[in-house]
Amino acid sequence: MSSSIAPPSGTGVPSSGAPMSMSPMALNMKVSGDGTDEHEISLTGTLRPFAAEEMASVRASLEQAAFSTRDSLCVNLKRLRYMNNVAFLELNRFLRWAANARPELRVKFILSSVIPWAIRKFQVIAELYPTVSIEVYDKALYPTQTVLEDDEFITVLRMQEKLIWNHEQDILALHGLRPGLRVADICCGLGCFDIFLQRDFRPEYLISVDHSRPLLKYAQQVVADFGLENIEYQYGDAAALLLADNSFDFVACRLSLQIFHQPEKILHELVRICRPGGRIYITNEMLGAAVGYPNTELISRGYRAFLEVSRQGGVDLDMGPKGRSLLQGVGLEDIKISQINVSNTNSDPTDLARVVELWIRVAWQFGEAAGADAAMHADVEKGLRSHIETILSDRGYAVWPIIAASGRKPFRTS
Amino acid sequence: MSIAKTSTPTAPQELELASNRYRMIMAAKFTVNGFARQWSHCHLVSNYLARFVSANEGDPERNATLLSTFVNELLEVVYRNHADDGEIDVIFRKRGRHMVLQLTIPVTDQHRIFYRMAVKMVNQPDLKAWFRARLEEPAEGEDTMLGMLELVAVYRCSFTLAEPAGSNRLSLFLELPEVDEMGEV
Repeated sequence: MSSSIAPPSGTGVPSSGAPMSMSPMALNMKVSGDGTDEHEISLTGTLRPFAAEEMASVRASLEQAAFSTRDSLCVNLKRLRYMNNVAFLELNRFLRWAANARPELRVKFILSSVIPWAIRKFQVIAELYPTVSIEVYDKALYPTQTVLEDDEFITVLRMQEKLIWNHEQDILALHGLRPGLRVADICCGLGCFDIFLQRDFRPEYLISVDHSRPLLKYAQQVVADFGLENIEYQYGDAAALLLADNSFDFVACRLSLQIFHQPEKILHELVRICRPGGRIYITNEMLGAAVGYPNTELISRGYRAFLEVSRQGGVDLDMGPKGRSLLQGVGLEDIKISQINVSNTNSDPTDLARVVELWIRVAWQFGEAAGADAAMHADVEKGLRSHIETILSDRGYAVWPIIAASGRKPFRTS
Repeated sequence: MSIAKTSTPTAPQELELASNRYRMIMAAKFTVNGFARQWSHCHLVSNYLARFVSANEGDPERNATLLSTFVNELLEVVYRNHADDGEIDVIFRKRGRHMVLQLTIPVTDQHRIFYRMAVKMVNQPDLKAWFRARLEEPAEGEDTMLGMLELVAVYRCSFTLAEPAGSNRLSLFLELPEVDEMGEV
């Protein structure tokens, strides 16, 4: 064989700090668990060693964890972007060792569907060892996703995006958006916002991430049909983005934090990818303040019931007013708040009525999933149908309120 | 390790590659000396090429992550098995929705035997069962080949080999599985 097989240079596992994408062993390893029932070892970054010996610290941690845990060991690979076969075979050797040394130990590999090679690779392992399983963690993180992906929803979502943009475009400059910025739109949905943004704000670079393949396919089709450029769509997990730290001037997350039961996980990612001095912009609905006249009381009761049903499904459609607190909670400064009022007098009432019509269906689906009682459903339907009547009435007035909030990432964090 | 006697699929011919069935995406050339100077070059080159080649895909980042995984595995094999001098040529083409990578490398007679054996091995029948058996009972010195074996057994890639007569170079063809517009295999 050739004598030119050089030993690797600059390898080794750093104990802390951000993974360096330039190195084939830019790995962060985190060990957690109190050593009783469950232990977790997270591997993040890149794991492409030249030889198995470079995995010594990983292997030692795995073996130590295998001995100190009583029941199960989780190997969290959801943010391990690259892994070569040398590393994979070393993990396989660990499993063979564990099968002898701790035969009762259950080992679970936590994977993400965002990493395109991972599931197939570890399925083989899971089939091989009876005590080994895999869990695709992000399937559980987006429980409402299937509700949001059908054709009718997509049609109304487009309409909703247009309704909002007509008002939102006026406030974006107040929140720091201007031409030439590097922009990330996290949870971009159909990507309509990005097309408007590209047209009116000319970002230097625009990346749009979502976890819904049908919505992204739609977005990509629109971009292809109209020959639009400079929008990059990416399938991704908002709670574990594959985007670099401090890399965007403006990070948007619109009408999305409200539908996640763990919004703080996403917020931390938004802060991570935003550069110091850049701004994070979020919008959330304030359906507790959705009003209408006439039928005021019926409409209010309907929305109260809708909010309750949604909460049971892990969704907070009254998150809007919490925006300021949420952004302060992650250390942002110079917080700015705006209210977007989409009403039947400043927007097309037929479009607004169709959006509310969709909410009735969404409420049924959320309610069904959460096991909400029939009386509550009846209140939702009665109230929201009254809202539709009000919206379409020549003498009525109805409002759909959304709160936009943004904050600046400080240059120095204490 | 015993390899069954099977007929190994043939690599695409020059004429075929030049036909409109294959669409050229990009070509790169670098010296084997420069490449083999650092192990990290496998990682860097595969990421760079994968990202470049994926630029026009629906989800460039996802496509690039997957492509880099495949290309890196192959480059790691080349890093360990090449002649000391000469150039490495990398050509990416597309046949329908399949990416076809042609990697031409300088080899000694010993490397030639290694690549012939590797390509023969990854074209065995019932490869997945074989791959699983190798994971259960790995043999000494098999690690390098297992990387190639996994590409075929798990990801449904295919390998062929072309050896121009009288040349100290050979071409490895790696045909990737069909990937949809979302970068999904």
